[in-house]
Amino acid sequence: MSTEQILSSDGLPLEVSLKKAERKNKLKAVMLVAPLFLFLIITYVFPIGDMLFRSVDDRKITQMLPNTFTAIEKWDGKDLPDEPVYAALYEDLAYLKKTKTYGKIIARLNYEKGGFSSLIKKTVRKLEKFEEGNYKEQFIKTHKRWGQNDYLVSLKNAAPNWTFAKYLKGVDLKYDQGGKIIQQDEDRRIHKILWLRTLKVAFWVTIFCFILAYPISYLLATLPMKYSNLLMICVLLPFWTSLLVRTSSWMVLLQQQGPINDLIVFLGLAANDARPELMYNVIGTFVAMTQILLPFMVLPLYSVMKTISPSLMRAGKSLGGTPFVAFRKIYFPLTVPGIGAGSLLVFILAIGYYITPALVGGASGSLISNTIAYHMKSSLDWSFAAALGTMLLVGVLTIYWIYNKLVGIDNIKLG
Amino acid sequence: MKKLSKLLLALSFVLSITTSAFAVTVVSWGGAYTESQKLGYGDPTAAKLGIAVNWVDYTGGLSEIKAQKEAGKITWDIIDVYAKDTIIGCDEGIFVEFDFDKDFAPAPDGTPASEDFFTGMPSKCAVGNILYSWNYAYNKENVKGTPSTIADFFNTKKFPGKRSLYKGAMSNIEFAIAADGVNPGKGSGRVYRKLEADGGVDRAMAKIKALCEDPNGGCVFWNAGAQPPELLANGEVVMATGWNGRFFNAQMEGTPIVQVWDAQILDYEYFAMVKGGPNDANGEAMKVLREMTSTEGLAGSAKYIAYAPWRKSSIAIIDAGEPWYKDGKTSMVQHMPTAPANTKKYILMNPEFWADNQDEIGEKWEAMKAGL
Repeated sequence: MSTEQILSSDGLPLEVSLKKAERKNKLKAVMLVAPLFLFLIITYVFPIGDMLFRSVDDRKITQMLPNTFTAIEKWDGKDLPDEPVYAALYEDLAYLKKTKTYGKIIARLNYEKGGFSSLIKKTVRKLEKFEEGNYKEQFIKTHKRWGQNDYLVSLKNAAPNWTFAKYLKGVDLKYDQGGKIIQQDEDRRIHKILWLRTLKVAFWVTIFCFILAYPISYLLATLPMKYSNLLMICVLLPFWTSLLVRTSSWMVLLQQQGPINDLIVFLGLAANDARPELMYNVIGTFVAMTQILLPFMVLPLYSVMKTISPSLMRAGKSLGGTPFVAFRKIYFPLTVPGIGAGSLLVFILAIGYYITPALVGGASGSLISNTIAYHMKSSLDWSFAAALGTMLLVGVLTIYWIYNKLVGIDNIKLG
Repeated sequence: MKKLSKLLLALSFVLSITTSAFAVTVVSWGGAYTESQKLGYGDPTAAKLGIAVNWVDYTGGLSEIKAQKEAGKITWDIIDVYAKDTIIGCDEGIFVEFDFDKDFAPAPDGTPASEDFFTGMPSKCAVGNILYSWNYAYNKENVKGTPSTIADFFNTKKFPGKRSLYKGAMSNIEFAIAADGVNPGKGSGRVYRKLEADGGVDRAMAKIKALCEDPNGGCVFWNAGAQPPELLANGEVVMATGWNGRFFNAQMEGTPIVQVWDAQILDYEYFAMVKGGPNDANGEAMKVLREMTSTEGLAGSAKYIAYAPWRKSSIAIIDAGEPWYKDGKTSMVQHMPTAPANTKKYILMNPEFWADNQDEIGEKWEAMKAGL
């Protein structure tokens, strides 16, 4: 049986013609999306990939000390290694000195253990006086640290091409000489404190934002237009002001001789010589961060409340519920998507904050992001900064996942 | 066709302006300090050589220049850096190594540069510009009595009230161990030897912890150099450590603060030149740097801030020209960290100590702060 082919006006079979047109459209669509796609790859996928890579990549030093690392592999890390390790070290350092590239290993080894900087520099300076043979003795004579086990263990720990040591350091663990994972020395366990503190600050700021934003949003959604517009501007105005300006304003307001304290003294709530400390402690951090992040809670809540018909509450009450019951059974459940969206936004933003807490939080204002900034800017240990950044990213994704399991991400409403 | 060629010409002109670097970019710490550099030697150099000099602020550290280098687009020529950064930058090949006497101008009497500068440089990539000091100051309206030693800073019985300290360990542990009875002498390395010995850092940190936890004391940590004089002025703290130039400028503005020089930490500040910077190949960055670090150049910045120039010959010019301060009434030399009255006991900053130990001490410091 043959069916008659349908032809389009230009004589081509319709099917072919249709496909052609479709292909054209698809191509157009792809072209339209391409800039955004490229933008995402360049500004998002690529840097994050690079960050992940940097946190485990440790090949540079392996290439610079190849002989040493081969020789030190067999060493068990108990007593000082034998002559071949030192001879290999001599060979590598002599080459690095000749090519003037030894600077790069200094920084890397100093992250592993403090003191390597002057150790390598002093050794390299004295390298030309070395005589052939008996290198171990000569190294130890040049600097006593070459005779200390810790330094050679650190050298051995730097050998693998790929390492998770930076991640371990991020939770106050480290490798011992046998390659076993152990706790960091007690007076250097800092990161766990910082992680917990960051979570605590983010949690409380989210709670405070919620408590403050819920009634504001309710007012915004229910007041007549002319008042709610004004209120909306009050909410948005700080949003358009620079973060630093807002933080500095809080510093002016909260200081011990500042207006808020003056008011407290004027009202007789505190004596003049016992003014409460509102800044350079957690109070300052909570106050400033809550104010700064408040709009991120108000806006999603508002957009959800705006869609809730007032007749629903009336219906609830007419069915015999008290206003409280009606609120709890009808209004509140309907706002949950907004609460979820707002809390998630505020929590995730708060977890990455560092300028505001550093300025108003005093000694307690140092959060995990400050440490990342420190390693990016001061110590230049970018791979550790990358590891911490990755851990933060994974933490945020985990929270997102938990939220999705508990509430469902489709339930979220941003506006 | 004519139109097209004109258009091309205009276009190429625009491109040449945007791609060829025509101003030498000098990067420094901002605030009163950059102001003193710009007025003191930046503008005079630009006028003399006919090369524009562009000032950019940063907050220290080598991360930005490292990032520029990795991205292959360097925009900075000259950077004002700490000693330890000249060492690291030189090791990593970020900065140009100088041929000191050839690259830098001799003193007016012909003394070669290497002899005219007070001391040798910490690395081959560094040329000194100022000596500054970490010392402490107090607000005389809020303190009864006159604190005069570093031990007084830690003495909350005699001088109750909150203190402000630098947020990092640098400077604090030096002050603490000096206050704990280690005599710094005249820049002898004793302070650093004690710190390097077992338990030295812990001893210093215990002293600071005690100060911060004392109900009569307490600590506010500062980030930016402008903060200490401000915290003193508004009564937030009674004493603060800080940079002497910032205290001096606040004094000149009429703030009632007094500087204490006992166990001050003398530190140096340097210029380094970026290898492969936009004006490296054409030699203009070098010309600018040579002019700025000349005898008159370095003396010029002292007109605006109380930091001491590195060159002996610059000090001589200032001495002969007193009162040197821009207001025409204030003699500068006595306010400088190098003045004899201010150097009875001082600590000389040891960049090698910090290059070695900054990470470990930094962690201990943060752990200590976290426990406050």
